[in-house]
Amino acid sequence: MAAETGTSSPARGRGESVTRRMFRLAWEMTSFKIGLGVFTLLVGAAIIWPELSPYDPMKISVRERFLPPIFLEGGTWAHLAGTDQLGRDLFVRSLVGLRNGLGIAAAAVAIMFVIGCALGVISGYWGRWVDIILMRITDAQLSIPVIVLAITILSVSRPNPFTVTAVLVLAGWPIYARVVRSIALAEREREYVRGAKILGASDLRIATLMISPNILPPIAFVAVLDIARMMIFEALFGFLGIGIQPPTPTFGNIIADGYKYLVNSWWIPTMPGVFLILTLISINLMGASLERARNKLFKGIV
Amino acid sequence: MAFVLTFLIRRLAQGVVIVLLVTFLIFTLLRVIPGDPVRIMLGPATTQAVVEARAQELGLRDSIPEQFVRYIAKAVQGDFGESYFIGETGIALTAQNVVGGKGQDTATEQREAKMTRAGVLKVIADGLPYTLMLAGMGLLFTLLMAVPLGIAAGLNQEKWQDRLAFFIGSVFISLPNFWLALVLILLITARAGLLPSIGYKGFGYVILPAIVLAVELAPIIIRGLSMSIAQALQAGYVSGGIVRGLPWRQIIVRHVLRNSSIPMLNLFGVQIGGLLLGGVFVTEFVFDYPGVGRSTVQAVLQRDFPVIQGVAILAASILVLANIMVDLASTFIDRRLKF
Repeated sequence: MAAETGTSSPARGRGESVTRRMFRLAWEMTSFKIGLGVFTLLVGAAIIWPELSPYDPMKISVRERFLPPIFLEGGTWAHLAGTDQLGRDLFVRSLVGLRNGLGIAAAAVAIMFVIGCALGVISGYWGRWVDIILMRITDAQLSIPVIVLAITILSVSRPNPFTVTAVLVLAGWPIYARVVRSIALAEREREYVRGAKILGASDLRIATLMISPNILPPIAFVAVLDIARMMIFEALFGFLGIGIQPPTPTFGNIIADGYKYLVNSWWIPTMPGVFLILTLISINLMGASLERARNKLFKGIV
Repeated sequence: MAFVLTFLIRRLAQGVVIVLLVTFLIFTLLRVIPGDPVRIMLGPATTQAVVEARAQELGLRDSIPEQFVRYIAKAVQGDFGESYFIGETGIALTAQNVVGGKGQDTATEQREAKMTRAGVLKVIADGLPYTLMLAGMGLLFTLLMAVPLGIAAGLNQEKWQDRLAFFIGSVFISLPNFWLALVLILLITARAGLLPSIGYKGFGYVILPAIVLAVELAPIIIRGLSMSIAQALQAGYVSGGIVRGLPWRQIIVRHVLRNSSIPMLNLFGVQIGGLLLGGVFVTEFVFDYPGVGRSTVQAVLQRDFPVIQGVAILAASILVLANIMVDLASTFIDRRLKF
């Protein structure tokens, strides 16, 4: 986190906002374009194909059990990624799993972003006892392994999309609060804030209209990378049996159910993972490109 | 050296507050969330009266602050309570073991015999050597993989080393640890038979879980190292060194690497510590490796309060101590940093 504090001297005043320039710089990188392309393709498939496909992701078909994927002997065009132990089409199931996982991860990141940024600005701009208390809470929160937190909460009540999202938000918000706090601390001392104060702007106005826009460039890439991180957690919860419950397909529970067939029908636990990893790589490529763009803008280095 | 002492005292005091806060959070969370450990312990066939009596005996019906104060008072004396489910001999106490079926007398006798529950410290101490070995090997593999790549990438920005590091980092961070574990078990153990895994019967069983840990940790070090080296290369002392006619090698080794090691140390305190803990839980669970992580996952699934609390305290303390040591080490590397 220490690296996030040195954001004091971006080159400004060329008409275009720092945020826009960061996105334009990232857009110029090949890695960003590859990531965006793969991501669009996967998400497009996840949105469209389950609706068009003749296969229901939850329909059991005894005659089509354990069919291998297309690239193995015995694979058919009908089931590109093969079928599982109950004859369900793995391609459709993986895509529905992608929908669920990405939806939950994106929702969780959006919520933790808003909560974390709000608390961070309050902590950094107003300071004093609010700051002390909030920062101690983030310390404590960051000292609890996410897994322990998640299993503790989710192993009791029947997990559903809302509880899973809530756990992810609970685990993720402190990082935003801390990064944003350090930005607010730095911005608070700058001339434009003093100028606004002299002109009679209220604290609320300064915090929301003047400091908040500076938050996005340093934290946008954190949010993008976090979507991937949260997807991994969502899948992990499913794998441990504390995520969204079967038969609703998620990456985690498909892999957990297929684990028993690892040796003889290896594609059941591994194929969903391939879809998950492709999604994660595409998101991480975009996030890492944004990070590089930010570094270029703020430090004059690559 | 007096300031080192005051620094240590201040940080340790802060650390104690954090550990207490974590303990209280976990403590409250466990008790507020529905789900009765006594019910799980005694099985569904027991009457409510028996469950209630046992809960009273364990002190689970008192108010949460009361329970918490009692727990802390014992914990500072080194008594972290006893597991609800793990017996002294390491055998799990199931409902059948604890409450017998028909003859009430023999059942009670049996219960007395098997109710010697294992202390939390013993549960942790049994698993800790395995977990430390796994974590140590994981860190070793991580450093072997990440340090050369990170340094190469940092010194050669925009060249192939940098691109390779970027690519490897992006791919590795996208591999979910549990899935990678499955694939390694399938390819290395089941298909090729190169390395054993699942359980623990010798040193060979550590290698695959350690590789999984290393793949999870390496991207962070690669990225952090290449970024901080690239940044250090921009600093004034590099051009200063060139002007003074120092050999390039000496500038890199003495100045650039030394200066860029401080952000790396900070990385170790917060991120690596947290990731290592989380990763150990998952890899131990998937590989059925007999460490603290596996016991914890089982404990949480059974709502074994004392074990979860003990592990939470341990985990938080390790993170806090790691952070203190990191800060101390950075001040020794860079004297300008304040304690």
